Amino acid sequence: MNKPITAFTSADDNIAAATERWEAETRGPFVAANPERRDPFTTQALKWPIKPLYTPADLDAAGFDYMKDVGFPGEYPYTRSTKPNGHRSGFWTMTQVTGFGKGEDWAKRARFMLDQGLSGLILEYDLATTNGYDSDDPMVEGEVGRAGMALDSLEDLERAFDLPFDKLNYLMSVCNAPQPVNLAMIIAALEKKGIDPQEFVLHIVNGILIEYTCVGRYIYPPEHGLRIATDAIEYIIRNHPNWAPLSIISAQLQPAKANPVQEIAFSLAICCAYIDATLERGLDIDTVAPYLNHFVVNVDMDFFEGICKLRAFRKCWARLMKERYGATRPEALKIRLMTSPTTIALTLQQPLNNIGRLAIMATACALGGAGENMTTPLHDEAHSLPAEEAIRVGAALQHIVAHETGVAETIDPLAGSYYVETLTKQMEDAAFAEMEKIFAMGGATKAIESGYFQRALGREQYERHKDLEEGRRKWVGVNHLVLAEEKREIEIFRLDDEMEEQQVAKVRELRARRDQSAVEAALERVREAARNGGNLVPVCLEAVKVYATHGELCNAMRDVFGVHAPDSQLAGI
Amino acid sequence: MQERSDRRLRVLLAKLGMDTHTVGVTIIGHALREAGMEVIFTGLKQTPEMVAAAAIQEDVDVVGISTLSAGHMRNLPKLARLLREQGAGDKLLLAGGVIPQEDQSFLTEAGVHKIFTMGADTRDIVRYLQDWWAERQASEAA
Repeated sequence: MNKPITAFTSADDNIAAATERWEAETRGPFVAANPERRDPFTTQALKWPIKPLYTPADLDAAGFDYMKDVGFPGEYPYTRSTKPNGHRSGFWTMTQVTGFGKGEDWAKRARFMLDQGLSGLILEYDLATTNGYDSDDPMVEGEVGRAGMALDSLEDLERAFDLPFDKLNYLMSVCNAPQPVNLAMIIAALEKKGIDPQEFVLHIVNGILIEYTCVGRYIYPPEHGLRIATDAIEYIIRNHPNWAPLSIISAQLQPAKANPVQEIAFSLAICCAYIDATLERGLDIDTVAPYLNHFVVNVDMDFFEGICKLRAFRKCWARLMKERYGATRPEALKIRLMTSPTTIALTLQQPLNNIGRLAIMATACALGGAGENMTTPLHDEAHSLPAEEAIRVGAALQHIVAHETGVAETIDPLAGSYYVETLTKQMEDAAFAEMEKIFAMGGATKAIESGYFQRALGREQYERHKDLEEGRRKWVGVNHLVLAEEKREIEIFRLDDEMEEQQVAKVRELRARRDQSAVEAALERVREAARNGGNLVPVCLEAVKVYATHGELCNAMRDVFGVHAPDSQLAGI
Repeated sequence: MQERSDRRLRVLLAKLGMDTHTVGVTIIGHALREAGMEVIFTGLKQTPEMVAAAAIQEDVDVVGISTLSAGHMRNLPKLARLLREQGAGDKLLLAGGVIPQEDQSFLTEAGVHKIFTMGADTRDIVRYLQDWWAERQASEAA
């Protein structure tokens, strides 16, 4: 009974024949008398048919080969794990999203989260910042400090970094469209605080290509967006080799309803665009790939789609690096996954049900090989900004999965499951076919410029919504087990005019007292670098140190690059 | 008038300000187009001035605003006023997304004709527009 899986393969013909016999003699008559509850059974996002039973014959039909397809943890193709010992030597880093209000509000929230036992933090800015405006710009009235921290100048970050940096080993910052500006702000703020940049890891997301695909926080046209992102990548690789210059947030494609195959193919193709641009800067693949291999991946409620997606991601990356780029270093062949339960599975209705959903999804993340890091959203997030109790429950949830379930005690415990291996391999094959299609179009930047990604996601959004409206998908609290008397609305964060006014006053007061001619000269150097192709990070660094504001720096680049304004077709509507 | 009643309903969908949540507006766009309407999307980061100008230039019958980032109390009354001032007050102005119950009467008094909040069924939205269009065409033919 305990023979290794390869020992079964010689008996596949017998198993296929035996399965047919079982179907005819045992299952067939039963189903004739007891009709199935669904027709057809499919996976949730991919809508792939699910068979009643998977056997070694399915692995054989898919061409499964243990050594080639799965192998061993810490070794090519890394399907089982990129770590030689899985999570037995240490758990993943446990993280939660935070960030709102003024710099000092963020610092207060961040301290609370560090006290709850979290060691990594994510710094999210408001939409004014991520779209490249200062708080006093008329375009962003009412948005200041709403969705994250308002960042106008170096002074805001100096206040935000009033933190116990000894408890913090990891900080992720999300400011994709004007990345060189934000990177310069953070470097300058760390310097001012006297923090040794080697003592922790700064991770910038730098994900402009996904912004064009589905998130929307873009400023400049895609070719310029990619160029300035590459400036930040090159600067980090050459100056802060212990930092991370890119994350491919596949977890933004997923709420935009990318199915697992699209997630793998689109995000890997997008990563290839960054890799190609960085290789053009004179770096080689074995140096570059270990910097550009951070992927944030959501897991949704379809347990096996989620687990198999994580396994397929590791393998697809390894194959792509080896086969397309000829990478040879293990560090280049290993993807770094950060996983998270998805917020789109959570409901506004009956919010305590979301704790159940989060536990299931976090377990799927762990079973898929949680990766470097797991971030849990909060059970009441759909309703309002997180309360402290929700943060505590969210942090505890990861500890429950880690310490109480046993799922992390052996490496890749679901390997060898006939269903899991079949689905993993099907995803890999389909993702490679989709990537070939994208490369044939000229790669991810071209797929964005032609609207291919956007239209593909638009279709998925509509189809998946119809599944819900027409009852093909049951969602507890939404279209199943609905509480008639429950009336729950998303809590709107009313414009905190006072906070916005304070932030506006601060930036205006700063502009009045700084050395204006130094600022003007620094902004002109940024325009020059933008025009002549010089790296934008050093010139932005000079500019933020004389307190040029975020919006002024973004505008200097708008003067040179113009702005991105897609129509219906390009927006996928 | 004959020419007008034969043509398809034209709808402008728009997003105002920094609100970049597009899943809802994408679903609505697909549903309306599938129901035979012409759909034009403005793109993101629009001001009320830009949307009013686009509505007039594109000669649409309906303007639909998707709002999920709480700018509705400021933006929607302004858009309604701009449309009226520019002689386009006959266009049907709709809003959808996250709009709390307590804000809705203020918005309808300010000139928003109908509000569909999150969870509205696309089939109801299509039916509402088809009924409105039939009525509009009947009144124009009369």
